[in-house]
Amino acid sequence: MTSTVATSAAVDQAVVVDDIWKRFGRVDVVQGLSFEVRRGELLGFLGPNGAGKTTTMRMILDIIRPDRGRISVLGGEPGVARQSRIGYLPEDRGLYRDVPVVDTLTYFGALRGMRLSESRARATELLEQVGLGDSLRKKAAELSRGMHQKAQLMATVMNEPDLLIVDEPFQGLDPVNAELLKGVLLSQRERGAAVVMSTHDMGDAQTLCDRILLIDGGRRVLYGTVPDIRRAFSDGAVEVIGQGVPTDATLYRSVSHISPMDGRIRFLLRDGATAQDLFRELAATDAIVERFSLDAPDLSEVFLRAVAGDPRAAAVA
Amino acid sequence: MSGPMPATDHAAEGAGFLRLATIVARRDYLRTVRRRGYIFGTLLLPIGFLALFGLSAVLGGGTTTGPITGTSPIVIVDASSVDLSTVETPGAVRIMSEAEAEAALRAGEIHEFYRVPATWPTQPDVERVTGGSSAFSLGDAQRREEQTQLLAATLRAGLLLPAGVPPETVTRVIVPVRIQAVTLDDAAATSDAAMVASAIVPFAFTLLFVMSIFITSGYLLQSVTEEKENRVVEILLSSVPSLPLMAGKIIGLGAAGLTQVLIWIAAALVALPLIGSQVGGLGDLAISPAMIILAVVYFVLGYLAFGAVFAAIGAIAPGNREAQQYSGFFGFVAVIPIIFSSLFLTDLQSPVVTVLAIIPVTATAAMLMILALSPTVPVGLVVLSLVSLTVFVVLATIASARVFRATLLLYGVRPSIGRIVSAILARD
Repeated sequence: MTSTVATSAAVDQAVVVDDIWKRFGRVDVVQGLSFEVRRGELLGFLGPNGAGKTTTMRMILDIIRPDRGRISVLGGEPGVARQSRIGYLPEDRGLYRDVPVVDTLTYFGALRGMRLSESRARATELLEQVGLGDSLRKKAAELSRGMHQKAQLMATVMNEPDLLIVDEPFQGLDPVNAELLKGVLLSQRERGAAVVMSTHDMGDAQTLCDRILLIDGGRRVLYGTVPDIRRAFSDGAVEVIGQGVPTDATLYRSVSHISPMDGRIRFLLRDGATAQDLFRELAATDAIVERFSLDAPDLSEVFLRAVAGDPRAAAVA
Repeated sequence: MSGPMPATDHAAEGAGFLRLATIVARRDYLRTVRRRGYIFGTLLLPIGFLALFGLSAVLGGGTTTGPITGTSPIVIVDASSVDLSTVETPGAVRIMSEAEAEAALRAGEIHEFYRVPATWPTQPDVERVTGGSSAFSLGDAQRREEQTQLLAATLRAGLLLPAGVPPETVTRVIVPVRIQAVTLDDAAATSDAAMVASAIVPFAFTLLFVMSIFITSGYLLQSVTEEKENRVVEILLSSVPSLPLMAGKIIGLGAAGLTQVLIWIAAALVALPLIGSQVGGLGDLAISPAMIILAVVYFVLGYLAFGAVFAAIGAIAPGNREAQQYSGFFGFVAVIPIIFSSLFLTDLQSPVVTVLAIIPVTATAAMLMILALSPTVPVGLVVLSLVSLTVFVVLATIASARVFRATLLLYGVRPSIGRIVSAILARD
């Protein structure tokens, strides 16, 4: 039974990074980093510039190798045998300037194991899907920045990858095209692909990602679901909007302090109490609760606090 | 994740390596041979050969156009006291009256005639009468030179024969010697012109091959720096490990260079006999199959050696301009044997020649010259140089792949010497 569970867990994990280290010169760029990415999951990979995100992604892709530690990708060691099942959109990306865009995508598809005819058909289909059907034979130098970026993301999903690693995929895109490409990423996740997305846009991370990995100085700082992480930084407060909500703190066993403000009521929870405890107590009153939410900072604030060394990060690191 | 890689993974790695290298090679080959610059460069040499042949034909062809054909016939109008009609002249000499000659000239049947005046032989002057102003070609010059020699021979005979000099003596006075070259071992004699040609052709041949190696290595350099500058390289490296990527590029672009060289060799083999019939000596040159095979082998090894070095330069250099500057140094090193060409011509046994033939970066140019100049293939030196080049190719390729992998993703940054050295020495 145990082995079945273990096997099942292994099958569910697209990437397992176990205590990896990487040093460039005298600097440890990645220090004992460990995390997993599950199939069908979108993992937000966050961190300030120079945190070691790109180095980590390159190690997963076997472009560079860790000095210590182990990485498993799609059930085995990174390498040629698995590279055909991976899609990668690096931050520093480009296309051949003097080559028709459909030819470039066809070449990238062939490198990822597709037959040339199959790759060309797929390239045509994907470019048409994002509105580049009229620009198939255009050279990259003739494309606008937005068209360029759409073509690049399509190049990444040419081979229906099982693991997709994208670095700042929506950077510089207008909202319409950003939404279009978010749809492409989410459809890949729905298909069952594991997606690792590096971004500096906390809004995207909060709305798109199932889990967040924040690193700084090559070390893991935060790791978990967005609600769990926000909750860890919530100061134990709950915000309630409703009618007839009692505001006397002594009426609640889970509350230490109540402060009504602008039609909202902020409940500060006692040590050890949870939002669930408060919810039960409110349900036992005659109050009509219209909104019950954890009064937690958004992900941008969590990011700043965690990078600044907030000790609460340890709870979700 | 734990333990050694399974055998199936090793097999997949091997098959994947070959497949990826093949895809990269095929793509880079086709992309290169379809470039306008490549097509232009490849065809320029054969076209140059054809143009040379054509020019040669035109130069020699001054006598093949118009009414006068064959051996530059000459028309003489004799007003002198010497009776030239008694001289046995070749068919090419015709004696006419002034009126007949003028009529033939006006009718365009002849380009000119020669008037031997009554003052001859007291005075040596003879007039060349032409039909008026017309474009003067190199063909005209060649024809008139031949006519002048024929006229001189005819006049000499006209003086000697009436004086009772035996005809055989007259013949020897006109053509005193005819040198024939022979060799001690009865081998085919080589003409003077062929000897001159055999001294010039090896250098042209070597220069062409070295140039071709550098043009081909230049494609490789351009390809690597272009992918680096276009930021395509990281996408490629996420699909193809550095070694098959580099191997594919070296093979694909090397094949493009080899295609170019083979076209040039084929053009040379076709054109040399044709030009040789016009340009003395070239037609006598013999290029043996062994020489061609060894030349191709040296081309391939020379390209692989410089290709590996240039791939690393492309990875190290921040941009194309810097890459060109770095590679220029190796271009100079490769042509050092040509700088020592006088030594190769005078003393093939010189220790300097031997050393240049063994040092990998000069071996290609040195051995191509040795092969072209040496009467027999120097087997020992060929083996030594091939071993030296092969070892260098293997080591340079491994080192280059390591440098390639360690520095290719440093956009706009020149890696330190220390980093390059540690990349070469690193096992991973």
